[in-house]
Amino acid sequence: MKHFFLASILAGAIALPAAAADYTIMAPAAPGGGWDQTARTMQTAMQQEKISDKVQVMNVPGAGGTIGIAQFASQQKGNPNALMVGGYVMVGAILTNKSPVTLKDVTPIARLTGEYEVIVVPAASEVKTMADLVEKLKADPGAVSWGGGSAGGTDHITAGLVAKAAGVDPTKVNYIAFSGGGEALAAILGGQVTAGISSYGEFEGQVKAGALRVLAISSDEKIEGIDAPTLKESGLDVVIQNWRMVAAAPGLSDEQKAAVTADIEKLAKSKTWQDNLKTKGWIDTYLAGPEFEEQLAKDITATEAILKDIGLVK
Amino acid sequence: MSLDHNEQTRSQRRPDWAALAIAAVLAIMAAIIFFDVARLRDMGGYSQVGPATVPDWIAIVLICLAIWTVVASFKGDFPQRERQEIKPVAWVVAGLLAQMVLIRLVGFSIATGVLFGLAAAGFGARRIWISIPVGIVLCFAIYWLFAVVLQLSLPAGPLENLIH
Amino acid sequence: MSTFDFLMQGLVSAMEPINLLYALIGVTLGTMVGVLPGIGPATTVALLLPVTYQLDPTGSLIMFAGIYYGGMYGGSTTSILLNTPGESASIITALEGNKMARAGRGGPALATSAIGSFVAGLIATLALAFVAPYIVKLALVFGPREYFALMVLAFVTVSSAFGNSALRGLTSLFIGLALSLVGIDQLTGQNRLSFGVPDLLDGIEVTTMAVAMFAIGETLFIAAQGAQAPDKVEAIRGSVWMTAKDWARSWKPWLRGTVIGFPIGAMPAGGAEIGTFLSYAAEKRLSNHPEEFGNGAIEGVAGPEAANNASAAGTLVPLLTLGLPTSATAAIMLAGFQQYGLQPGPLLFATNPQLVWGLIASLLIANLMLLVLNLPLVGLWVRLLTIPKPWLYSGILVFATLGTIGANPSVFELGMLLVFGLVAYVMRVFDYPIAPVIVGLILGPLAEQQLRRALSISQGDVTTLVQSPIAAVLLGLAAIALILPLVLRLRGRGNVLTQMAASED
Repeated sequence: MKHFFLASILAGAIALPAAAADYTIMAPAAPGGGWDQTARTMQTAMQQEKISDKVQVMNVPGAGGTIGIAQFASQQKGNPNALMVGGYVMVGAILTNKSPVTLKDVTPIARLTGEYEVIVVPAASEVKTMADLVEKLKADPGAVSWGGGSAGGTDHITAGLVAKAAGVDPTKVNYIAFSGGGEALAAILGGQVTAGISSYGEFEGQVKAGALRVLAISSDEKIEGIDAPTLKESGLDVVIQNWRMVAAAPGLSDEQKAAVTADIEKLAKSKTWQDNLKTKGWIDTYLAGPEFEEQLAKDITATEAILKDIGLVK
Repeated sequence: MSLDHNEQTRSQRRPDWAALAIAAVLAIMAAIIFFDVARLRDMGGYSQVGPATVPDWIAIVLICLAIWTVVASFKGDFPQRERQEIKPVAWVVAGLLAQMVLIRLVGFSIATGVLFGLAAAGFGARRIWISIPVGIVLCFAIYWLFAVVLQLSLPAGPLENLIH
Repeated sequence: MSTFDFLMQGLVSAMEPINLLYALIGVTLGTMVGVLPGIGPATTVALLLPVTYQLDPTGSLIMFAGIYYGGMYGGSTTSILLNTPGESASIITALEGNKMARAGRGGPALATSAIGSFVAGLIATLALAFVAPYIVKLALVFGPREYFALMVLAFVTVSSAFGNSALRGLTSLFIGLALSLVGIDQLTGQNRLSFGVPDLLDGIEVTTMAVAMFAIGETLFIAAQGAQAPDKVEAIRGSVWMTAKDWARSWKPWLRGTVIGFPIGAMPAGGAEIGTFLSYAAEKRLSNHPEEFGNGAIEGVAGPEAANNASAAGTLVPLLTLGLPTSATAAIMLAGFQQYGLQPGPLLFATNPQLVWGLIASLLIANLMLLVLNLPLVGLWVRLLTIPKPWLYSGILVFATLGTIGANPSVFELGMLLVFGLVAYVMRVFDYPIAPVIVGLILGPLAEQQLRRALSISQGDVTTLVQSPIAAVLLGLAAIALILPLVLRLRGRGNVLTQMAASED
């Protein structure tokens, strides 16, 4: 065991140089966050599955990924070995930060994973169903405080979409942005806010322990193991997924793009990747090619519309 | 510390120009804050303390501090300065600037090695034709340790690419 | 099996020689990366986590604990010796610690910091094991208004503890507050004072600022003294170890720091820095040697160091009992736990007792290893200071920029280091204190956000701020802390205060 460990340190140290398809993956976030973990998991899986001999991860944190994407688009142009991780949060950040570089300036390859949003209340809350919450919201939108992640993020957008679908003015939503998942969850558990909104993973432990009640989930169909109706079933036409994707550099030839897409497909189907998804609790929502591009365009238009409705983008 | 300064300065009754400059900087900061957040004044939502309120408070206090600084400068309440030598400071600043300019072009080791040499020159080790190469070798070792062994992402250049 | 049995079982498995070795390797690696200014424990753990994947669960858990503690401790060493705080929780340590190091008392400063961290870590880890469920209930009572009241208290106590001129102290504080406004406003997503520069959207990084203000500013200031300044610092004056007097002056601050740090760390929005601020202010108030504060008072190292370690253990309370990651470090630890099949949450203690107690035992062992590794090295570390000035200060600059580049390889960030380094230099020349800038930068946004959240929830009703008993008590304490010194001063009581008052005008 000891020798094995020392050997692995040494192996890392000497890091044999190799020729073919060395990828560099940019995580447009600091080490530790969701995008960084996605990039590092890709790194592990690509190396173990021999898709690429050597993969490096590079962190360019800042402003919801907009600093990373700007750097990626300008510095990696035409480089078939450069990849970047991104996600739905980036769509909103590009709009609110008025980023000059958008997802149109890179080559989106595939959606890898996704999480659905859920609306929860503390177990002791008088709100029992989504209908109760909608009723409260219609009576006095200000009296319903929503706790979730950063302003303009997926959670905020979902709250806006729910209000709109319920026929309530989205600008009237009393959304309280917290800086991290933990802080929002504490406020929800402590009964500081009326309802909480975030991806299911953040609440899973509490829901299983019976401390929180799920009112609805933002998926298209009911999810196995989650005892809650979808928003659609609750009469609110809202479907939203907080996805993570991988993009390649701009200016690639069709062959280059096809080669990268093939590698990513191999990755997404590989056993290492699938095993990692399981341990990390990520949902596989792999989607590539024209279907992904279509979905992406749809998401961007819808996001722009709701951010304008909420009043975050003018 | 300020006690002994006061003994000397209490008698003088002319304004301290540096203090006036500091007051001006504080006032300018306040003005920038005030104008920048003006566009956010109606975004409070349900709380009457919106994104512009706290910046406004801070700007107001900065103005008060600027006035206080002016008063202090006329009263001679400002501490006296020790003599500053500008040349060594310039060497160090040059080193930091050089690193900034070079790091994207030639990578971590060379850029930081140049910083090492120039900063050492600022502290009296003027033989930069020795200290810069020494710095580069040192930084290359640091690069190997942190970027290769410990997986920190540091900008690579021609030198670093030798070991990749 | 009882709690105690689980803990003993965990300890026995953690004490196996091979596991001790893993702890040692973890602590060493963690310290190596953690000493880099700007690379805090979160990044250290994120970078080194993959190393632990190779081992069996017990081994990887224990190495992980080692990396975590090593990453935290690394920051303090550089704070004390080089005046370069490795992370935001060790900024306060630099205040007194570096003064001690310069006076040839770096040995005792490092020792009180190491032993204080150990004592605090030990007590806090035991507290985590036995009282976590109660502490977490308290933490959940804290909503935005209670946090706001806590921040107000922190502001009042901390600002009265800085510097000898009210004007210059306040100016520094408000420069920090003004800088804290830069970036996207958390609550509305609107940018403030970023003038269309994307690099400013996330605001000014506290560690970048601390490195610029302390390390770069100090280096420029020393450079400007030219040949007047002595060429070498005398590294050891008196004993390299703590004397009986040092022990006598340290043990109470360790305990007080632990008591302050642990609950604040357990609060979801507390943050380790707040604990160090409050501990420093408390030690300054309670000290028999208040005149030494600012010139190297050992209490000012012992208290905050204990507080920051205790609050790190405190962070684990909501993480293990609720699955709440309340800091960047906790978030990355959560990712680590998942790797070992541990799903933190309310059911963890019931479903996975072996792993939880294994972790707690690992933390205790890692804490011990840290002490074992660091105490013998104290003598070696302080000799760093005997390096001739040109090489010492160039080395500090290399080191300071290395951390910044490693955390965020951007030219803009280096530019900020230089600009704020120059600002700090000018402030030093005019005798403005540096620490309040950092305090403003950290506390400002927290206080503002919590105030606005509270008012948003109450839909604009200001009385909400005093309607909760906890918030009302905290605000009351803040008012007393603000008014009492004024009253005492008017009545001519309290030697220290009158002395301070005299030097103010």
